[in-house]
Amino acid sequence: MPPVAPRSGDAIFANVERVNAELFTLTYGAIVRQLLTDLEEVEEVNKQLDQMGYNIGIRLIDEFLAKSNVSRCNDFRETTDVIAKVGFKMFLGVTASVTNWDADGTCCSIVLEDNPLVDFVELPDNCQGLYYCNILSGVIRGALDMVSMKTEVTWLRDVLRGDDVFELQVKLLKHVPEEYPYKDDE
Amino acid sequence: MIVCVAVVGHQNNPLFIQSFTEADDALKLHHIVHCSLDVVDERVNNPKKSGPMLNETFLGLLYPIENYKVYGYLTNTKVKFILVTTDLDVKDADVRNFFRRFHAAYVDAVSNPFHVPGKKITSRTFAERVSTIVKSFGFSSAG
Amino acid sequence: MVREVSESCVDSLLTEMVSCYCNRFYVNKPELAARRIEAIGYQVGHQLSERYTMERPRFTDHLEAIKFICKDFWSELFKKQIDNLKTNHRGTFVLQDNKFRWLARMSVDPSTDKVSSVEDNTSPTAENKAAQSMSMHLYFPCGIIRGALSNLGIPCAVSADISNLPACSFVVRIKAG
Repeated sequence: MPPVAPRSGDAIFANVERVNAELFTLTYGAIVRQLLTDLEEVEEVNKQLDQMGYNIGIRLIDEFLAKSNVSRCNDFRETTDVIAKVGFKMFLGVTASVTNWDADGTCCSIVLEDNPLVDFVELPDNCQGLYYCNILSGVIRGALDMVSMKTEVTWLRDVLRGDDVFELQVKLLKHVPEEYPYKDDE
Repeated sequence: MIVCVAVVGHQNNPLFIQSFTEADDALKLHHIVHCSLDVVDERVNNPKKSGPMLNETFLGLLYPIENYKVYGYLTNTKVKFILVTTDLDVKDADVRNFFRRFHAAYVDAVSNPFHVPGKKITSRTFAERVSTIVKSFGFSSAG
Repeated sequence: MVREVSESCVDSLLTEMVSCYCNRFYVNKPELAARRIEAIGYQVGHQLSERYTMERPRFTDHLEAIKFICKDFWSELFKKQIDNLKTNHRGTFVLQDNKFRWLARMSVDPSTDKVSSVEDNTSPTAENKAAQSMSMHLYFPCGIIRGALSNLGIPCAVSADISNLPACSFVVRIKAG
């Protein structure tokens, strides 16, 4: 069954207001560094970055739905696909792919080869436990939460830790479709 | 052949220095770099030949010494780049091109959020990029 | 090719960063929150000035550096220049942006109200609160300007004036050195 045809991420990205990625990259870097100074514990920084991402995700979902024409996604599989192919493109200008589906379709990986957050970044030795891009996992969790999908998002691979790509595992914990705010006859 | 490159902070504090010789002359090269800093200061504070050279980041040949030629570059943020070469017949364009690429690598290195301004540049990526730029010195304009 | 991201990425990141420092970390200590937000801006400005002055002759005086901030630097960030530059010729410069983008696009953040209402017993008017939240946002661009100028060898203090919205004036006071 073909999914609702979303607008392509490229077309949307071409039409949104865009800014120099350097500003975004350096700002994010400065935030991470300031959090490390203020919170001291790397674990706590990971937690805060995830929280910041979550708060951003629950707000960005509206813009995402409005601009992408994906008013409703029927299932988890379709939703993650749209996030990877349209969401990443329209906000970060990069494309992600979805792989490693488990048998019952409740767990998959979003793989990102290119990621503007880490341009120029090299982790110092005392920050090896840091999930530098943890804001991204929070954004995904927050966005999915708003479409009634409770998920757990964890990093499986990280270029800053020596892997060849970024890989985020997204595991569906609970799907509550009846709470979905957008009804068919709206 | 480039034998040494260095990045020096605005208080003449060394931020990065790398020599590229087999010989055990690191100490001597460091000394040459050190001496060149005074020449940079002098050149910048008392620009003799004004005109187009004034305030240009590329400072040109600082001084020839024994078998070396020493070139300098001063960024807008008062960071000095020093290049020491054994080539006697060096094209100005090659040196300019070298500093342009070196500067780009430097800017990326200090854009690392974990780099502390004024502290030594420890980035492995930077060291690798510098070594690539050094190896290709003089080849770009030849073909 | 210049890498770009959607403007909402920057907007949401800044909104969330300010909200994080004001409403979670330093709820009753706005001056501490302000200092952290300014420090984040400082680092960004410091790095950007390094980047944006590449392949450009060195500035000969303060005015030249300030003009660079008003023109090229501002254009890179906001796709427009500073609209008006004034100086008292004694080390103070006023940079006015008639429609400062980060204020124009700033919406009242619902999560800010939700979180802060618990602690906020001083019952400021809504207007007051909006102004306070706005001034918190402005510590970031103030930090950017201070970071950029400091890296160009000009130590200074930077503050923002929003008495004339949507215009925003940044006041740069160069420290005698």
